[in-house]
Amino acid sequence: MKRRTPVSRLLSPVSRATDLLLEIGTEELPAAYLPGLIEQLGREAATLLQAHHLPYERAESAGTPRRLVLIVRGLSATQRKPAEEVRGPSKQAAYDKDGKPTAALLGFLRAQGGSLAHTKVVSSERGDYVYLVKEPRATPASAVLPELLPQLIGRLRAPKTMRWDASGVRFARPIRWLLALYGTSALRCSLGTLQSASATRVGGPLRPRAVRVRSLEGYLRTLKQAGVALDQAQRRAWIEQAVGRIAGQARGAAAPEMVSHGLLDEVTHLVERPTPLAGRFDRTYLSLPREVLLASMAKYQRVFAVEAGGTLLPQFIAILEGPPRRPAEVRKVMERILNARLADSLLFWIEDHQRLPLQRMAEALSGVTFHERLGSMAEKTVRLRALAEPLAEAWQLTEEERAHLRRACQLAKADLVSTMVKEFPTLQGVIGKHYARDSEEPAPVAEAIEEQYLPAGNQRPRTLLGGALALLDKYDTLSSYFGLGIMPTGDQDPFGLRRAAQGIVEIAWTVHRPLPLGALFRTRTSMEPFRSVQPRAAATAGNQVQRYLLDRLDTFEWPTPAPAPDTIDAVLAGPCDDLVDVMDRIVTLQGLHNHPALRKAAKVIERTRNILRGAALRQPQVDPARLAEAPERQLWELYRAHEPRLAGLAQDKAYAEATTLFGEVFFEPLHRFFDQVMVNVPDEALQQNRLALMQAIQALYTDRIADLSKLTLLHHEEPAA
Amino acid sequence: MPGSRTFQHIVRALDAFWEQEGCVIVQPYDIEMGAGTFHPATFFGALGPAPVRAAYVQPSRRPTDGRYGKNPLRMQRYYQYQVLLKPSPEDVQSRYLKSLRAVGLALDDHDLRFVQDDWESPTLGAWGLGWEVWLDSLEVTQFTYFQQVGGVDLDPISCEITYGLERIAMFVQGAADVYKLAYGPRTTYGDLHLANERESSAYNFEHADVALHQQLFASCEQDATRLLNAKLLLPAYEQLLKCSHTFNLLDARGAVSQSDRPRFILRIRGIAKRCAELYLERQAPETRDRGQGT
Repeated sequence: MKRRTPVSRLLSPVSRATDLLLEIGTEELPAAYLPGLIEQLGREAATLLQAHHLPYERAESAGTPRRLVLIVRGLSATQRKPAEEVRGPSKQAAYDKDGKPTAALLGFLRAQGGSLAHTKVVSSERGDYVYLVKEPRATPASAVLPELLPQLIGRLRAPKTMRWDASGVRFARPIRWLLALYGTSALRCSLGTLQSASATRVGGPLRPRAVRVRSLEGYLRTLKQAGVALDQAQRRAWIEQAVGRIAGQARGAAAPEMVSHGLLDEVTHLVERPTPLAGRFDRTYLSLPREVLLASMAKYQRVFAVEAGGTLLPQFIAILEGPPRRPAEVRKVMERILNARLADSLLFWIEDHQRLPLQRMAEALSGVTFHERLGSMAEKTVRLRALAEPLAEAWQLTEEERAHLRRACQLAKADLVSTMVKEFPTLQGVIGKHYARDSEEPAPVAEAIEEQYLPAGNQRPRTLLGGALALLDKYDTLSSYFGLGIMPTGDQDPFGLRRAAQGIVEIAWTVHRPLPLGALFRTRTSMEPFRSVQPRAAATAGNQVQRYLLDRLDTFEWPTPAPAPDTIDAVLAGPCDDLVDVMDRIVTLQGLHNHPALRKAAKVIERTRNILRGAALRQPQVDPARLAEAPERQLWELYRAHEPRLAGLAQDKAYAEATTLFGEVFFEPLHRFFDQVMVNVPDEALQQNRLALMQAIQALYTDRIADLSKLTLLHHEEPAA
Repeated sequence: MPGSRTFQHIVRALDAFWEQEGCVIVQPYDIEMGAGTFHPATFFGALGPAPVRAAYVQPSRRPTDGRYGKNPLRMQRYYQYQVLLKPSPEDVQSRYLKSLRAVGLALDDHDLRFVQDDWESPTLGAWGLGWEVWLDSLEVTQFTYFQQVGGVDLDPISCEITYGLERIAMFVQGAADVYKLAYGPRTTYGDLHLANERESSAYNFEHADVALHQQLFASCEQDATRLLNAKLLLPAYEQLLKCSHTFNLLDARGAVSQSDRPRFILRIRGIAKRCAELYLERQAPETRDRGQGT
């Protein structure tokens, strides 16, 4: 409230750098928003301070559900604006013959409030001009910051924002106080109806109290004494340790899924004074599947499960907001609530089992919409079954595997009608697996049903049929929406199609069996929505699906060395029907990156391509009878001698050997050919035959592997031979 | 009184607290509804510029939540205590916490949290941001800053506080089972409601006549439109309430397929939107008059 900046200090042009503290006090921010808000606060502060010429040593941001905090260390006391140069009259007009300033120059200086001593002459294309160099006024940071900090807050974005009073200010949740301190002086900022004060608030919602803050160190001490763990990374580490320690006392450990599924991160952002509390639940509920227990604990109470030797114990660990006066009371209530929740889950479990076998649930899928223009989930499973055929063919599945895959397609979505999935939507697939097992479906069918929604996080399908189903489901979704003309644009992707496409690429790579995009799409077009559109429109959609999948290769997490963009471009200019084969070629060519054979092969492609580019080739095949000169006859013989072997190597996916062979065989002879033979001769028959020869040699490689003329190494200097 | 706070004591304590805060204590609405938000005091109260402070108990029906009286926490009919404050006061959170202490809750013994809840009622065309208030991980209140009602952007912003009365009473009394709560002199909550929970669960899940309710939904919807055309606001809104409850019943009977659901909701929302518009249209001159006084 009080402004304590001494006037002398405001006026002093060179005062020392000082620390800045900004605390945005809020009602409880959503845990999911916090990481983003904290990150933005630091980033936007850096941008703004830089834009306003306020250098600093270090800027950090941190936060809890009740506060977002910016700390800038060593912030310059004054703005460091660059000198401003104002153009005046031309040199000719500014000085008379004797070199004395003219009225024009003096008038300019008067208008600008400058003196002759601060002028200089600058020469440019437009002539010589007089410039006035104006040293900027050194505005103190303490005068700029009160304007800047509200702007900074205004730049913070959240997925959903709200208004809470008449000021019209929007934020993720109401902002209730602002603390802005520059050194030991409070800055007076206003945001909507709110004025900054020199106090923070601690004690949580139950025992709130305002504490006056006089310095950054005092602020950090106040928070520490109040038990507030401001730094989110430290808070996370502390919670993880506390949970581990308590679980260890029961000779157990925290269930690893609680970390991998994000509960630890969520809990970190739910509290500012983490306080652990251990409790138990009724052993009876251990009969529920592990996933259900974990989901219930995470969803309803945000508590950690404990396991020993991979089996859950009837225990949990909660992280409370500050120490309650009677922890035993809290424990009792939490245990009671968890037991009631688990009782409910058990009831759902039993109810669902009365509706098994899973086949019966699958029959109810005609009432579940996939998309209103794409029909029901029942129709989706029919499509999955159809799409399974070309995939099974390409993967050369055994009869048994094919039968299992068909069955998995049929039952894939059945669990969507179960009460359990209605209660825990994230368990789709998992519940299906359990119910498939309990319906005595073969194990591979149950596993495939579980894995169909992968990849998720760092989990990938582990079984072959799980990979197949996950891939088919995503392919069906992707092609369905593309068929309706719905495609992701920019950051608009309401149906998660980008993720589906990425998933297809990841699974294809993991499984590493051919993925015949053309065959899949041909099967897909025999069904809706393609059946009711023009064949040409369907073909366009097919190309778009294929293109979209291939475009995902740019962001794919490749094994190292990650392929360069030009390697990917080169391979994509070759055959693209089999996605996995495309990926193999990319990896192989990248592996050859510094190999002289690759350069030789690329040179062959480049030179043949260049000569073909300038001419119109009309002759489809080489006519050996017309080969007049020795070098061209030699090339043709080499072609005939090596064509079967090259084709064979490409067939066997021995792309490195094929590339080496191609380069070694053709590089020298082609060089000789160009030295000794003219291609573009007046005799058109001769010219066409030579072009056909070039085309044949080039296609030998590009039709099978890649168009190496796209490689940037061709533009680099040739290494010493 | 402390230590022996019955359910009815708690209601009276909340009435007294919010009366002190300037609220009109209105009475429950006499038509079935899913939540106190549907009460005209909130739905219409949140619209328009005039300040409103209202509090009331509203019996709320959630047919799908019935558990035949076997679950100590879930019921198909329970009581909400609803507070609407427009505009929302700056210290509304601490006033709310004060009200919990006023009903006899020893807050310091417990773990209290405000956990994100992006509240939305698709049927009312209403949404807001706020929290579920957790006491030892049990949701005891929904706390929302309304942003839209009936598809209309709100200004000023209202704050809606919806207490789960049974759950709060369970904390106050230290009871583990809702049916064992002391309701009033020599009377438990179970004495009053357990038989009905059993019977109504059976009705909601097994016996409600699907054809009848489908017919009912269509008739009420039609009637709402007719009444809106005749500019009869509250009668039209009451038909909306009936549509909404009928839809919930059909849902509990398993008679609403996944694909029907959005269509039902859209139909109800259409009525809600028209009700909100008619209300604002009618309020416009009146609030201008009143606005001069405040």
